[in-house]
Amino acid sequence: MTETGQGKAPGTAPAVRVRGLWKRFGEQTAVAGIDLELPAGRFIGLVGPNGAGKTTTLSMVTGLLRPDEGSVEVAGHDVWRDPAAVKARIGVLPEGLRMFERLSGRELLGYTGRLRGIPGPETDRRADRLLDVLGLADAQHKLVVDYSTGMRKKTGLAAALLHNPEVLFLDEPFEGVDPVSAQTIRAVLERYTASGATVVFSSHVMELVESLCDWVAVLAAGTIRAHGTLDEVRGGAPSLQEAFLRLVGAEGRLDDSHLDWLGGGAR
Amino acid sequence: MSAAAPEPAAQQGATAPEPGARLGAAALTPVFVRLRLSLLRGGLRQSAGRRAAYLASSALALLAACFLSLGLVLLHGNTHADAVTVPLAALLALGWAVMPLFFPSGDETLDPSRLVMLPLRPAPLVQSLLVASLVGVGPLFSLCVLAASAVALAGTPGAWALAVLAVPLALLVCVSLARAVAAANVRLLTSRRGRDLAVLSGLVIAVGAQLVNFGVQQLGSAGLERLEPVAGAVRWVPPAAALGAVASAGEGSYGSALAQLALCALALAGLLHLWRRSLERLMTAPDGSTLQAAAPDAVRRRGRDPLARLLPAGRTGTVMERSLRYVWRDPKTKAAWVTSLAVGLIVPVFNALQGSGSVYFACFAAGMLGIQMYNQFGQDTSAFWMVAMTISSPRDAYVELRGRALALLVITLPYATLVTVLTTALIGDWELLPEAVGLSFALLGAMLATGAWASARFPYSIPQEGHKNVAAGQAGLAWISVFGGMVAAAVLCAPVLALDLWLHLADRASAAWLLLPAGTAYGIGITLLGLRLAAPRTARRLPEILAAVSKG
Repeated sequence: MTETGQGKAPGTAPAVRVRGLWKRFGEQTAVAGIDLELPAGRFIGLVGPNGAGKTTTLSMVTGLLRPDEGSVEVAGHDVWRDPAAVKARIGVLPEGLRMFERLSGRELLGYTGRLRGIPGPETDRRADRLLDVLGLADAQHKLVVDYSTGMRKKTGLAAALLHNPEVLFLDEPFEGVDPVSAQTIRAVLERYTASGATVVFSSHVMELVESLCDWVAVLAAGTIRAHGTLDEVRGGAPSLQEAFLRLVGAEGRLDDSHLDWLGGGAR
Repeated sequence: MSAAAPEPAAQQGATAPEPGARLGAAALTPVFVRLRLSLLRGGLRQSAGRRAAYLASSALALLAACFLSLGLVLLHGNTHADAVTVPLAALLALGWAVMPLFFPSGDETLDPSRLVMLPLRPAPLVQSLLVASLVGVGPLFSLCVLAASAVALAGTPGAWALAVLAVPLALLVCVSLARAVAAANVRLLTSRRGRDLAVLSGLVIAVGAQLVNFGVQQLGSAGLERLEPVAGAVRWVPPAAALGAVASAGEGSYGSALAQLALCALALAGLLHLWRRSLERLMTAPDGSTLQAAAPDAVRRRGRDPLARLLPAGRTGTVMERSLRYVWRDPKTKAAWVTSLAVGLIVPVFNALQGSGSVYFACFAAGMLGIQMYNQFGQDTSAFWMVAMTISSPRDAYVELRGRALALLVITLPYATLVTVLTTALIGDWELLPEAVGLSFALLGAMLATGAWASARFPYSIPQEGHKNVAAGQAGLAWISVFGGMVAAAVLCAPVLALDLWLHLADRASAAWLLLPAGTAYGIGITLLGLRLAAPRTARRLPEILAAVSKG
C-alpha cells in the first residue's frame, strides 16, 4: 500500500470519474449517458435489476469494453489514453468471462502475478497467503475447471488482489456463492477497504449491499437513478430494498385478481 | 420420438402386478422389442423427409446386403475366400463399435439414461435389450453378410454344422459390442475428463482415415494376396473368429475351429458383462463430474515444475509455460496440435513410402504446425481478458505474442527437422536435406508472422463444447484468417523459393546448402517483423479482440 497510499482518504480525489458514458448494441441502448464520481476509500455498491447495464458499465470502466461515447478516469488516469497507469492500479473480477481454467488454482495465480510483472518468488508468496486466507489451499493443485462456483469466485478474487490494486472492481462477486465462501470473501474485502483501498461491486441483492457498502449508486435502464451514501440513497424508506423499488419504479403491488386461483383448498 | 417413449412404460405398468416386483427377462423382452418398433414407427411418423430418408437408406442397405451376399456366395470354393470374408467380418464389427459414438441419439433404447427411472434389474434388462437390438435393418444387413460369408467358407458337412452356430454368435457379438460401447460412452460423457476425451475422438477418425487410405492404396497395388496375412491374424479376433472357425473346419482342423468359436463365446460373455457393469453404474451412481470435484486430487507437483525452471524469466517464460501447459491440458488445443503433428508427419512420410514423395513435401510439417499460431487469442477463449488486463503498451503485446511463438517453436522446430530428416531418409536424397530444412524454417517463419498478424486482425471464438472449431457467424472470419494467412505465408516464402529455383536452374545445386542458413535467417527475420506489426494492432484492439473471442 505504500506507493498508492496517498490520496485515499474519503473526500479527496474520486477513485473513478465517469463522464457521458454511452454504449449501444445494435438497436438496444445498454448504457445511456452515465455521469458518476465514485469516492476513494469506500465500499461502493452498484445496484440495479437484471439488464440495467451494470456489467456493461463495469466492463467499460475497467477497459474491457470500448464505450461509444464518454470518458472514464480511474485514480486520475484516463482508461483509454493511459492504460498502463490504470491497469497497474485496478483489479477486476468480471462476470461471465472464463479464466484459464486448465491451470490449477495455484498455477493461475502464479501466471497472473508474473504477467503483471510481480517477481516470481513474491508472486508465490502472495499466492500462498491468498490461497490460505480464502480456504483454497487444499484445492490449489486441482484444475480450476473442476472447481465449484464459490471456489472460482474466490480464485478470481485472489487473482484480482495479487498485485495489491488501488481500486477493485467486482461484478456480482457473490452470485452463486455459498454462505461460507461469501463470508470469506466479505472478510477479505472488509480488511482490504479498511486499509484505504476502494471496492466497487455490482449486485442485485439489496440486503447484501446494505450490509456491506457505505456508498451506493442505483442503475436502471442504463442510467443512474440515485447515488450517494447509503443513508442518502435510502432517504426516508425503511430499507434499501424499498428505496430501490421506488427508484426503479417497480413498487406496484401484485394485482390479486390474476392469481386468485393459486393456493387455497379448491383445485 | 420422445412422444412414443412413455407408451411402453405405461404398458409395462399395466402388466406389472405390483410396484417393485422383479421383472424377468421373459416378461421384459417383448416390451423392449415393442418399444423399439414403436420408437421406429414414431420416428417415421414425425416427418415425411425423415420417412423418405429412412426408407431410402433401408432400401439401399438391403440392396447392398443382397449384392454383397450374392458376391460372397459366389466366392464359395475359392481358395482366397477366407481372405475376404474374415476381414469383412472384422470391418463389420468395427462398424458396430463406432456407430453408437457417431449416432448416440440414433436409437433411444441405446441410451441407458432413459431407462434410469424404470424399476428394472440389470440382468433381465441386458438380456431383453440384447434381443431388442436384433430388430432393425442393421442387424438384418449384418446377418445377410455373415451368413453369406459362412456359405462362402463352408465346404465340408462339419463346416456347415459349425456355421449354424458361428453366424448367430458373430451377430450377437456385433450387437453386444455396439451396446457395450454405447453404455460406456454415456458413462464417459458424465465426467469432465470423459468429455475432454470425446473432443479428441474426432482426431482418431482423421488419423484413422489417413491410415485406411494408405492401406487401401497398398491393397490396390498388390491385390488380394496381400490380405492373406491380415486374415490369418484376424481369424483369431472375435467376431471374425466365428467365420475363422468355419474356415478352419473347412480345412479339417477342428481343434482350431472349436477354439475360435470358444473365443467368440468368451468375447460375448465379456462384452455382456461390461455392458451390464456400465448399466449398473449408470443407473445407481451419481453424475461423474460431482464425484470428480469432491475427490482429493493427490498432492502433485509441489513447488515449481521442471518446465518452469527451463524457461526464461519474466513475461516471456510465463506466457510460454501457460501455452505449453495448454497444449497438453486443453482438449481443443490438444486436438488441434495432435492433428497438426499427425497430418504433418503422415503426408510427407506416406508419400515417400509410396515412392511418389519428394523431400520438399517435408515442408508440409512446418506448414501444418504453423497453423497453430493463427487465432492465438481465440484459443484463450474469453479468458483472454486476463491477458488483456496486463497489456498496456505495444511492447507488452509484442512480448506476449513472442512468448506464444517461442512456445510453438519449442515443439515445432525439432519436429519439422525430424520430419524432414525422416522423409529424406526414406527417399534417400540426402543432398536435398539442407535446403528442405531451410525452406521449412522459412515457411514456418512466414506462418508465425502471418499467424500473429491474423490473430490480432481476425480473431474468432472457438466453442469449448462439441467438435466445432468456429462459433456461429464467424466462419467467414476463420476462413479469411487461416486461408488468407496461408496464401500470404506462401507468398512471403517466395524469395526463398526463388533463390532455391535459381540455384537449381543456374546449375549451382552444389551451393544449395546455402538455403539452410538463408532460410533460417529469413524465417527469423520475417517472424520478428510479423510480431512487430501485430503487436501495436493487438494493443490497440484489446476490447474488440475480447468481444470476438468471447462468443463460444
